[in-house]
Amino acid sequence: MDVQVFVDLQNQFDSESSLREEISAATKELHKTCRLASAKLSKAHAVPKTQSKQVTDSVKEQFATIHTNIEAIAKQVRPVTFYRYHDMWSMAVQNACAMVIFAVYLEESRLATAADIQSYLGYRVNVTNEDVTEFVITLEEYLHGIISLFSELSRLAVNSVIVNDVQRPQEISQFASELYAGFQLLNLKNDSLRRRFDSIKYDIKKIEEVQYDLRVRGLIA
Amino acid sequence: MSETAEQIPQQHEQRPAKKPRFEKHKGTPDLSQPMSETKRAILTSFTQYRDTLDAHYDRRERVIKCSRDITALSKKIDSPDRVFADAESKQKQVLELFRKMSAELQGSNGYKYNRQATPGLQEYIEAIGLWTFLRDSTLITKQQVVESLSVADESGEVKPLLMVSDEDYILGVSDLPGEVNRYCINSIGKGDRNAVERSLAFLRELKEGINFVLCGGRIRDLDKKIPKIEKAYYSMSIRDDEMAKINPTAVAAAADA
Repeated sequence: MDVQVFVDLQNQFDSESSLREEISAATKELHKTCRLASAKLSKAHAVPKTQSKQVTDSVKEQFATIHTNIEAIAKQVRPVTFYRYHDMWSMAVQNACAMVIFAVYLEESRLATAADIQSYLGYRVNVTNEDVTEFVITLEEYLHGIISLFSELSRLAVNSVIVNDVQRPQEISQFASELYAGFQLLNLKNDSLRRRFDSIKYDIKKIEEVQYDLRVRGLIA
Repeated sequence: MSETAEQIPQQHEQRPAKKPRFEKHKGTPDLSQPMSETKRAILTSFTQYRDTLDAHYDRRERVIKCSRDITALSKKIDSPDRVFADAESKQKQVLELFRKMSAELQGSNGYKYNRQATPGLQEYIEAIGLWTFLRDSTLITKQQVVESLSVADESGEVKPLLMVSDEDYILGVSDLPGEVNRYCINSIGKGDRNAVERSLAFLRELKEGINFVLCGGRIRDLDKKIPKIEKAYYSMSIRDDEMAKINPTAVAAAADA
């Protein structure tokens, strides 16, 4: 038996851990930008619908930074080892997707498609789960981003009443239930997507309670 | 004793398929009914997402199934007591399973489903590692593992069926001390000094080697295993010394035998 075998193995592990460090440093930057974007976007909760365009315009700059942040991660990984390190940045990319999805909803009251994600973040969503040949955003990351939208929607329903917009909760409720119908088509297994999906119903309930309060007081038809 | 060892892994193969608790959603939702444009767009794209996710989950299940079958068969190749007579044919069957599994692990999927595939692969490395030890008293190299998993394709080119990562290799090898330990203890029982000598030499070298590689998890368990083995060898040596003191001729006779 040759100790050299183990020395070689150790060298392999060493070079890998320095790669991991670089990826994690790049991911940290992405997290930072996402937090800034999130802080800016959350102002949308405090203003009426008419002003939400200003809010989303103010985060455009962060979306561009997110693109460069993801680029920095993408440079570190080769397609074949994509899934080996995928867990390291997955959470951050989920957040980035959530930001885009919320921003698109605020602007156009619709669900951001995979194509929207690509145009904002510069990377394709792998909706058909095909073999990875370049850096992609996975379908799961996109779906996680959509699930995050539900909690924003339930807050938005409450907050739009605060800014005297009693029509908006109705619109939100309609949209949330349509989106929920989409999610119900999925056959989720017992994984993180499933667990977060289970929390959607509480957000829907909150939106419905807002509508109930408005209607019972005769504030909406 | 060897019969029971051969029966245990049967369990996986005989387990009936689990019935799904809920019926799977299949087909496309009825889009002909009146609905808003946004809803139609959502339902259309989510139908596509569902098919993608289903394909992913199914593939993951198939890899898990293959990995389990490989684990079960690997246990039938050898045990610390002996290499089973049909080890060669079992090895062929395992290769067949690896061939099946390799179809699911092409390209980027290799790492995507590594978590599901690795238990079987590790068990296989352990099995052929033990085989190599019993035959040559040496540690199996990663190259040997890859070679044992290589088959000729249609064009006659010999290619490995699947990628063996350093982690797979080191984790498979790190199960060896336990097996060699059992072999060593059995040999003490049988009074086979030669076998004890070579297992101890092997384990010591393996320990030195493992000390070079610093990683977490099961590798650290090795540190607990090796003192256990050394303690057994210590007890044996002490008994031998004691024996030699009382009756030197009997020990010499045993050593000659």
